[in-house]
Amino acid sequence: MSTQTIAQSSTWGGGNSPFKVSYGKLMMWVFLLSDAFTFSSLLTAYGAIRYSFSSTDTFIEDVTPAKLEADGIPMRDGRIDFTFADNLIEKYTPDAAAHTSHGAEAHADHTDYFVQKMGETGIFSESHWPSPDLVFNHFPGFGVIDFHGMHLPLIFVSLMTLILILSSVTMVLAVEAGQRADKDAVSKWMLWTIIGGFMFLGCQAWEWTQFIGAGSRMYSNPYGPPTFAALFFGVTGFHGFHVFSGVVLNIIIYVNNLMGTYEKRGHYEMVEKVGLYWHFVDLVWVFVFTFFYLI
Amino acid sequence: MSSHSNHNADIHDEVNYDPTVWVPHTHSHGTKDIWLKFWILLGLTVIDVAFYFVMPPSMARNIIFIALGIVKAIYIVGTFMHMKHEKLGFASMIIIPMMFIIFFIAWMLFEGNFWGTI
Repeated sequence: MSTQTIAQSSTWGGGNSPFKVSYGKLMMWVFLLSDAFTFSSLLTAYGAIRYSFSSTDTFIEDVTPAKLEADGIPMRDGRIDFTFADNLIEKYTPDAAAHTSHGAEAHADHTDYFVQKMGETGIFSESHWPSPDLVFNHFPGFGVIDFHGMHLPLIFVSLMTLILILSSVTMVLAVEAGQRADKDAVSKWMLWTIIGGFMFLGCQAWEWTQFIGAGSRMYSNPYGPPTFAALFFGVTGFHGFHVFSGVVLNIIIYVNNLMGTYEKRGHYEMVEKVGLYWHFVDLVWVFVFTFFYLI
Repeated sequence: MSSHSNHNADIHDEVNYDPTVWVPHTHSHGTKDIWLKFWILLGLTVIDVAFYFVMPPSMARNIIFIALGIVKAIYIVGTFMHMKHEKLGFASMIIIPMMFIIFFIAWMLFEGNFWGTI
Protein backbone atom coordinates (compact mmCIF):
# COMPACT_ATOMS: atom_id res chain seq x y z
CA MET A 1 0.00 0.00 0.00
CA SER A 2 1.31 3.41 -0.96
CA THR A 3 -0.28 5.07 2.07
CA GLN A 4 1.75 2.83 4.38
CA THR A 5 5.14 4.04 3.10
CA ILE A 6 4.10 7.69 3.46
CA ALA A 7 2.89 7.10 7.03
CA GLN A 8 6.07 5.23 7.97
CA SER A 9 8.45 7.81 6.58
CA SER A 10 6.93 10.65 8.59
CA THR A 11 5.14 9.15 11.58
CA TRP A 12 5.67 12.22 13.77
CA GLY A 13 6.06 14.69 10.92
CA GLY A 14 2.41 15.67 10.78
CA GLY A 15 -0.18 14.84 8.18
CA ASN A 16 -1.29 11.60 9.83
CA SER A 17 -2.36 10.13 13.14
CA PRO A 18 0.69 8.39 14.72
CA PHE A 19 -1.47 6.70 17.36
CA LYS A 20 -4.13 5.76 14.78
CA VAL A 21 -6.87 7.33 16.87
CA SER A 22 -9.19 10.15 15.91
CA TYR A 23 -8.89 13.57 17.47
CA GLY A 24 -12.12 13.18 19.45
CA LYS A 25 -11.18 9.82 20.92
CA LEU A 26 -7.70 11.03 21.83
CA MET A 27 -9.18 14.01 23.65
CA MET A 28 -11.70 11.80 25.47
CA TRP A 29 -8.80 9.72 26.78
CA VAL A 30 -6.89 12.83 27.86
CA PHE A 31 -10.00 14.07 29.66
CA LEU A 32 -10.46 10.71 31.36
CA LEU A 33 -6.83 10.78 32.51
CA SER A 34 -7.44 14.18 34.11
CA ASP A 35 -10.67 12.90 35.65
CA ALA A 36 -8.79 9.90 37.03
CA PHE A 37 -6.46 12.34 38.80
CA THR A 38 -9.48 14.20 40.21
CA PHE A 39 -11.05 11.05 41.63
CA SER A 40 -7.75 9.75 42.91
CA SER A 41 -7.18 12.98 44.85
CA LEU A 42 -10.64 12.62 46.39
CA LEU A 43 -9.98 9.00 47.33
CA THR A 44 -6.48 9.84 48.53
CA ALA A 45 -7.88 12.56 50.80
CA TYR A 46 -10.43 10.03 52.07
CA GLY A 47 -7.75 7.45 52.84
CA ALA A 48 -5.41 9.91 54.52
CA ILE A 49 -8.13 11.47 56.71
CA ARG A 50 -9.64 8.10 57.56
CA TYR A 51 -6.30 6.65 58.65
CA SER A 52 -5.59 9.66 60.85
CA PHE A 53 -8.41 8.32 63.06
CA SER A 54 -8.54 5.03 64.89
CA SER A 55 -11.28 2.75 63.60
CA THR A 56 -14.32 1.28 65.33
CA ASP A 57 -12.84 -2.17 64.63
CA THR A 58 -9.87 -1.61 66.95
CA PHE A 59 -12.15 0.11 69.46
CA ILE A 60 -14.51 -2.87 69.57
CA GLU A 61 -11.55 -5.24 70.08
CA ASP A 62 -10.33 -3.15 73.03
CA VAL A 63 -13.70 -3.13 74.79
CA THR A 64 -14.43 -6.35 76.64
CA PRO A 65 -17.47 -8.34 75.46
CA ALA A 66 -18.80 -8.27 79.03
CA LYS A 67 -18.92 -4.48 79.00
CA LEU A 68 -20.71 -4.39 75.66
CA GLU A 69 -23.24 -6.92 76.88
CA ALA A 70 -23.82 -4.83 80.02
CA ASP A 71 -24.43 -1.81 77.79
CA GLY A 72 -27.24 -3.67 76.06
CA ILE A 73 -25.43 -4.60 72.83
CA PRO A 74 -26.56 -8.01 71.60
CA MET A 75 -23.57 -10.39 71.67
CA ARG A 76 -22.82 -13.76 70.11
CA ASP A 77 -19.60 -15.78 70.56
CA GLY A 78 -17.76 -12.83 72.09
CA ARG A 79 -18.51 -10.52 69.15
CA ILE A 80 -21.30 -8.05 68.53
CA ASP A 81 -24.30 -9.91 67.17
CA PHE A 82 -25.41 -7.74 64.30
CA THR A 83 -28.05 -10.16 63.13
CA PHE A 84 -30.43 -8.70 65.66
CA ALA A 85 -33.36 -8.36 63.29
CA ASP A 86 -35.51 -10.43 65.63
CA ASN A 87 -34.77 -8.13 68.56
CA LEU A 88 -35.83 -5.16 66.49
CA ILE A 89 -39.01 -6.71 65.22
CA GLU A 90 -40.07 -7.69 68.74
CA LYS A 91 -39.03 -4.39 70.25
CA TYR A 92 -40.61 -2.00 67.82
CA THR A 93 -43.23 -3.84 65.85
CA PRO A 94 -44.87 -6.42 68.12
CA ASP A 95 -47.82 -6.39 65.74
CA ALA A 96 -46.71 -8.57 62.82
CA ALA A 97 -49.19 -6.91 60.46
CA ALA A 98 -47.70 -3.50 61.23
CA HIS A 99 -44.26 -4.83 60.39
CA THR A 100 -45.23 -6.20 56.99
CA SER A 101 -46.36 -2.70 56.00
CA HIS A 102 -42.66 -1.75 56.43
CA GLY A 103 -43.37 1.92 55.97
CA ALA A 104 -40.90 4.69 56.65
CA GLU A 105 -41.73 4.56 60.37
CA ALA A 106 -40.68 0.95 60.85
CA HIS A 107 -37.39 1.76 59.23
CA ALA A 108 -36.87 4.92 61.23
CA ASP A 109 -37.20 2.72 64.33
CA HIS A 110 -34.36 0.53 63.17
CA THR A 111 -32.12 3.48 62.36
CA ASP A 112 -32.88 5.22 65.63
CA TYR A 113 -32.41 2.09 67.69
CA PHE A 114 -29.20 0.92 66.09
CA VAL A 115 -27.48 4.28 65.70
CA GLN A 116 -28.58 5.41 69.15
CA LYS A 117 -27.32 2.22 70.85
CA MET A 118 -24.00 2.44 69.05
CA GLY A 119 -23.67 6.08 70.13
CA GLU A 120 -24.54 5.29 73.75
CA THR A 121 -21.79 2.68 74.06
CA GLY A 122 -19.23 4.99 72.50
CA ILE A 123 -18.67 2.81 69.42
CA PHE A 124 -19.97 5.66 67.27
CA SER A 125 -18.00 8.68 68.42
CA GLU A 126 -16.14 11.57 66.84
CA SER A 127 -12.81 9.96 67.71
CA HIS A 128 -13.32 6.69 65.76
CA TRP A 129 -13.81 6.28 62.06
CA PRO A 130 -16.91 4.06 61.69
CA SER A 131 -16.44 0.72 59.97
CA PRO A 132 -18.60 0.66 56.79
CA ASP A 133 -19.93 -2.61 58.21
CA LEU A 134 -21.84 -0.64 60.85
CA VAL A 135 -23.08 2.19 58.61
CA PHE A 136 -24.11 0.77 55.23
CA ASN A 137 -25.93 -2.32 56.43
CA HIS A 138 -29.41 -1.69 55.03
CA PHE A 139 -31.29 -3.36 52.23
CA PRO A 140 -34.69 -2.20 50.95
CA GLY A 141 -37.79 -4.35 51.40
CA PHE A 142 -39.73 -5.70 48.44
CA GLY A 143 -43.32 -6.58 49.29
CA VAL A 144 -43.38 -9.98 50.97
CA ILE A 145 -39.58 -10.15 51.25
CA ASP A 146 -38.69 -7.66 53.93
CA PHE A 147 -35.07 -6.88 54.73
CA HIS A 148 -35.80 -3.92 56.98
CA GLY A 149 -34.07 -4.08 60.32
CA MET A 150 -31.66 -6.81 59.21
CA HIS A 151 -27.91 -6.36 59.39
CA LEU A 152 -26.82 -6.83 55.78
CA PRO A 153 -23.54 -5.01 55.22
CA LEU A 154 -22.13 -4.77 51.69
CA ILE A 155 -25.10 -6.58 50.10
CA PHE A 156 -26.86 -3.51 48.69
CA VAL A 157 -23.68 -1.94 47.41
CA SER A 158 -22.69 -5.27 45.78
CA LEU A 159 -26.00 -5.15 43.93
CA MET A 160 -25.16 -1.61 42.77
CA THR A 161 -21.77 -2.87 41.58
CA LEU A 162 -23.43 -5.69 39.64
CA ILE A 163 -25.82 -3.20 37.98
CA LEU A 164 -22.96 -0.93 36.93
CA ILE A 165 -20.81 -3.80 35.60
CA LEU A 166 -23.79 -5.11 33.60
CA SER A 167 -24.46 -1.64 32.15
CA SER A 168 -20.79 -1.48 31.19
CA VAL A 169 -21.20 -4.80 29.36
CA THR A 170 -24.28 -3.56 27.47
CA MET A 171 -22.35 -0.38 26.58
CA VAL A 172 -19.42 -2.33 25.15
CA LEU A 173 -21.92 -4.48 23.22
CA ALA A 174 -23.36 -1.25 21.75
CA VAL A 175 -19.84 -0.21 20.71
CA GLU A 176 -19.28 -3.63 19.15
CA ALA A 177 -22.57 -3.31 17.25
CA GLY A 178 -21.41 0.12 16.04
CA GLN A 179 -18.20 -1.42 14.70
CA ARG A 180 -20.40 -3.71 12.59
CA ALA A 181 -22.57 -0.66 11.65
CA ASP A 182 -25.60 -2.50 13.01
CA LYS A 183 -27.91 0.41 13.82
CA ASP A 184 -30.70 -1.61 15.46
CA ALA A 185 -28.30 -3.49 17.75
CA VAL A 186 -26.73 -0.17 18.82
CA SER A 187 -30.21 1.09 19.75
CA LYS A 188 -31.01 -2.04 21.71
CA TRP A 189 -27.80 -2.08 23.76
CA MET A 190 -27.82 1.69 24.33
CA LEU A 191 -31.34 1.40 25.74
CA TRP A 192 -30.21 -1.32 28.18
CA THR A 193 -27.26 0.85 29.20
CA ILE A 194 -29.57 3.80 29.90
CA ILE A 195 -31.86 1.56 31.99
CA GLY A 196 -28.83 0.29 33.95
CA GLY A 197 -27.72 3.88 34.56
CA PHE A 198 -31.12 4.87 35.94
CA MET A 199 -31.20 1.75 38.14
CA PHE A 200 -27.81 2.66 39.60
CA LEU A 201 -28.91 6.27 40.20
CA GLY A 202 -32.06 4.99 41.92
CA CYS A 203 -29.94 2.81 44.23
CA GLN A 204 -27.65 5.75 44.94
CA ALA A 205 -30.67 7.90 45.83
CA TRP A 206 -31.95 5.22 48.22
CA GLU A 207 -28.53 4.92 49.84
CA TRP A 208 -28.36 8.69 50.37
CA THR A 209 -31.92 8.72 51.74
CA GLN A 210 -30.94 6.16 54.40
CA PHE A 211 -27.78 8.04 55.26
CA ILE A 212 -29.51 11.42 55.53
CA GLY A 213 -32.50 9.85 57.28
CA ALA A 214 -30.20 8.63 60.06
CA GLY A 215 -29.20 12.25 60.67
CA SER A 216 -26.11 12.66 58.47
CA ARG A 217 -25.38 16.13 57.14
CA MET A 218 -22.40 17.73 55.43
CA TYR A 219 -20.89 18.91 58.72
CA SER A 220 -22.19 16.39 61.26
CA ASN A 221 -23.31 12.78 61.44
CA PRO A 222 -24.24 10.29 64.15
CA TYR A 223 -21.68 7.70 63.01
CA GLY A 224 -18.31 9.30 63.58
CA PRO A 225 -16.09 12.26 62.71
CA PRO A 226 -17.82 15.05 60.70
CA THR A 227 -15.45 14.44 57.77
CA PHE A 228 -16.84 10.90 57.41
CA ALA A 229 -20.20 12.13 56.05
CA ALA A 230 -18.61 15.08 54.24
CA LEU A 231 -16.34 12.70 52.29
CA PHE A 232 -19.16 10.23 51.67
CA PHE A 233 -21.35 12.98 50.20
CA GLY A 234 -18.42 14.48 48.33
CA VAL A 235 -17.07 11.35 46.68
CA THR A 236 -20.26 9.38 46.03
CA GLY A 237 -21.96 12.63 45.01
CA PHE A 238 -19.21 13.46 42.56
CA HIS A 239 -19.34 9.93 41.19
CA GLY A 240 -23.16 9.97 41.09
CA PHE A 241 -23.10 13.21 39.10
CA HIS A 242 -20.71 11.56 36.64
CA VAL A 243 -23.20 8.69 36.30
CA PHE A 244 -25.99 11.20 35.74
CA SER A 245 -23.95 13.03 33.07
CA GLY A 246 -23.19 9.65 31.49
CA VAL A 247 -26.88 8.76 31.33
CA VAL A 248 -27.63 12.13 29.66
CA LEU A 249 -24.85 11.52 27.10
CA ASN A 250 -26.11 7.97 26.51
CA ILE A 251 -29.63 9.29 25.85
CA ILE A 252 -28.23 11.81 23.34
CA ILE A 253 -26.34 9.01 21.55
CA TYR A 254 -29.43 6.79 21.62
CA VAL A 255 -31.62 9.50 20.05
CA ASN A 256 -28.94 10.42 17.47
CA ASN A 257 -28.66 6.77 16.49
CA LEU A 258 -32.45 6.46 16.11
CA MET A 259 -32.39 9.51 13.82
CA GLY A 260 -29.72 7.85 11.69
CA THR A 261 -26.97 10.41 12.42
CA TYR A 262 -24.19 7.82 12.59
CA GLU A 263 -25.50 5.84 9.63
CA LYS A 264 -25.21 9.02 7.53
CA ARG A 265 -21.79 9.89 8.98
CA GLY A 266 -20.45 6.48 7.97
CA HIS A 267 -19.07 5.52 11.38
CA TYR A 268 -20.29 4.97 14.95
CA GLU A 269 -17.29 6.38 16.79
CA MET A 270 -19.47 8.65 18.97
CA VAL A 271 -20.84 5.48 20.58
CA GLU A 272 -17.29 4.42 21.38
CA LYS A 273 -16.29 7.83 22.77
CA VAL A 274 -19.29 8.07 25.09
CA GLY A 275 -18.70 4.40 25.89
CA LEU A 276 -15.20 5.28 27.13
CA TYR A 277 -16.75 7.81 29.50
CA TRP A 278 -19.30 5.27 30.71
CA HIS A 279 -16.65 2.61 31.38
CA PHE A 280 -14.62 5.19 33.26
CA VAL A 281 -17.60 5.79 35.57
CA ASP A 282 -17.64 2.02 36.18
CA LEU A 283 -13.88 2.07 36.79
CA VAL A 284 -14.21 4.83 39.39
CA TRP A 285 -16.97 2.86 41.09
CA VAL A 286 -14.63 -0.13 41.45
CA PHE A 287 -12.39 2.06 43.61
CA VAL A 288 -15.20 3.85 45.47
CA PHE A 289 -16.52 0.35 46.28
CA THR A 290 -13.05 -0.73 47.44
CA PHE A 291 -12.18 2.28 49.57
CA PHE A 292 -15.59 3.26 50.97
CA TYR A 293 -17.30 -0.07 51.47
CA LEU A 294 -14.79 -2.92 51.51
CA ILE A 295 -11.94 -1.39 53.49
CA MET B 1 -16.81 -10.19 9.33
CA SER B 2 -19.07 -7.56 7.82
CA SER B 3 -17.33 -4.58 6.31
CA HIS B 4 -17.63 -1.06 7.64
CA SER B 5 -20.49 0.89 6.11
CA ASN B 6 -18.66 3.78 4.55
CA HIS B 7 -20.41 6.42 2.50
CA ASN B 8 -17.59 8.96 2.68
CA ALA B 9 -14.07 7.84 1.70
CA ASP B 10 -12.41 10.99 3.08
CA ILE B 11 -12.91 10.02 6.72
CA HIS B 12 -10.37 7.18 6.38
CA ASP B 13 -7.95 8.87 3.96
CA GLU B 14 -4.37 8.84 5.28
CA VAL B 15 -2.87 10.62 2.27
CA ASN B 16 -5.13 13.64 2.34
CA TYR B 17 -5.33 13.47 6.13
CA ASP B 18 -7.97 15.77 7.64
CA PRO B 19 -7.78 15.64 11.47
CA THR B 20 -11.26 17.12 11.89
CA VAL B 21 -13.01 14.14 10.28
CA TRP B 22 -10.42 11.32 10.14
CA VAL B 23 -11.29 8.09 11.92
CA PRO B 24 -9.48 4.75 11.64
CA HIS B 25 -11.16 1.71 10.11
CA THR B 26 -12.83 -0.30 12.84
CA HIS B 27 -13.66 -3.95 13.06
CA SER B 28 -15.43 -5.99 15.70
CA HIS B 29 -13.48 -8.30 17.99
CA GLY B 30 -16.65 -10.26 18.71
CA THR B 31 -18.68 -10.54 21.89
CA LYS B 32 -17.11 -13.68 23.37
CA ASP B 33 -14.27 -11.80 25.08
CA ILE B 34 -16.72 -9.20 26.47
CA TRP B 35 -18.85 -11.81 28.18
CA LEU B 36 -15.76 -13.64 29.46
CA LYS B 37 -14.57 -10.41 31.10
CA PHE B 38 -18.04 -9.86 32.56
CA TRP B 39 -17.90 -13.25 34.32
CA ILE B 40 -14.36 -12.53 35.51
CA LEU B 41 -15.41 -9.13 36.94
CA LEU B 42 -18.43 -10.72 38.60
CA GLY B 43 -16.23 -13.49 40.02
CA LEU B 44 -13.71 -10.97 41.41
CA THR B 45 -16.55 -9.03 43.07
CA VAL B 46 -17.85 -12.26 44.63
CA ILE B 47 -14.30 -12.95 45.90
CA ASP B 48 -14.28 -9.42 47.39
CA VAL B 49 -17.54 -10.09 49.21
CA ALA B 50 -16.29 -13.52 50.40
CA PHE B 51 -13.10 -11.97 51.87
CA TYR B 52 -15.19 -9.24 53.48
CA PHE B 53 -17.28 -11.74 55.42
CA VAL B 54 -14.68 -14.47 56.07
CA MET B 55 -11.53 -12.50 56.93
CA PRO B 56 -11.47 -10.06 59.87
CA PRO B 57 -10.43 -6.48 59.00
CA SER B 58 -6.65 -6.09 58.66
CA MET B 59 -4.07 -4.37 56.48
CA ALA B 60 -3.55 -7.71 54.68
CA ARG B 61 -7.26 -7.78 53.80
CA ASN B 62 -7.08 -4.16 52.58
CA ILE B 63 -4.18 -5.07 50.30
CA ILE B 64 -6.20 -8.00 48.90
CA PHE B 65 -9.11 -5.62 48.15
CA ILE B 66 -6.84 -3.06 46.47
CA ALA B 67 -5.10 -5.77 44.42
CA LEU B 68 -8.46 -7.17 43.27
CA GLY B 69 -9.55 -3.59 42.43
CA ILE B 70 -6.48 -3.13 40.24
CA VAL B 71 -7.13 -6.46 38.49
CA LYS B 72 -10.72 -5.34 37.80
CA ALA B 73 -9.41 -2.00 36.51
CA ILE B 74 -7.06 -3.82 34.10
CA TYR B 75 -9.97 -5.81 32.62
CA ILE B 76 -12.23 -2.73 32.36
CA VAL B 77 -9.55 -0.56 30.71
CA GLY B 78 -8.08 -3.37 28.59
CA THR B 79 -11.22 -5.00 27.20
CA PHE B 80 -14.19 -2.67 27.80
CA MET B 81 -12.24 0.48 26.96
CA HIS B 82 -10.47 -1.35 24.13
CA MET B 83 -7.01 -0.35 25.36
CA LYS B 84 -5.37 -3.69 24.58
CA HIS B 85 -6.18 -3.17 20.89
CA GLU B 86 -4.67 0.36 20.79
CA LYS B 87 -1.12 1.19 19.71
CA LEU B 88 1.48 0.69 22.45
CA GLY B 89 2.56 4.34 22.38
CA PHE B 90 -1.00 5.53 22.90
CA ALA B 91 -1.68 3.04 25.70
CA SER B 92 1.57 4.06 27.42
CA MET B 93 0.65 7.74 27.22
CA ILE B 94 -2.52 7.06 29.23
CA ILE B 95 -1.42 4.20 31.50
CA ILE B 96 2.00 5.42 32.69
CA PRO B 97 0.68 8.60 34.40
CA MET B 98 -1.90 6.41 36.19
CA MET B 99 0.96 4.61 37.96
CA PHE B 100 1.53 7.84 39.91
CA ILE B 101 -2.03 7.63 41.22
CA ILE B 102 -1.49 4.16 42.73
CA PHE B 103 1.77 5.32 44.28
CA PHE B 104 0.17 8.49 45.65
CA ILE B 105 -2.77 6.66 47.25
CA ALA B 106 -0.47 4.16 48.97
CA TRP B 107 1.77 6.99 50.16
CA MET B 108 -1.08 8.99 51.69
CA LEU B 109 -2.63 5.94 53.37
CA PHE B 110 0.58 5.49 55.36
CA GLU B 111 0.99 9.24 55.86
CA GLY B 112 -2.48 9.46 57.44
CA ASN B 113 -1.34 7.03 60.15
CA PHE B 114 0.90 9.70 61.64
CA TRP B 115 -1.58 12.59 61.71
CA GLY B 116 -2.48 13.57 65.23
CA THR B 117 0.25 11.38 66.73
CA ILE B 118 3.16 13.81 66.46
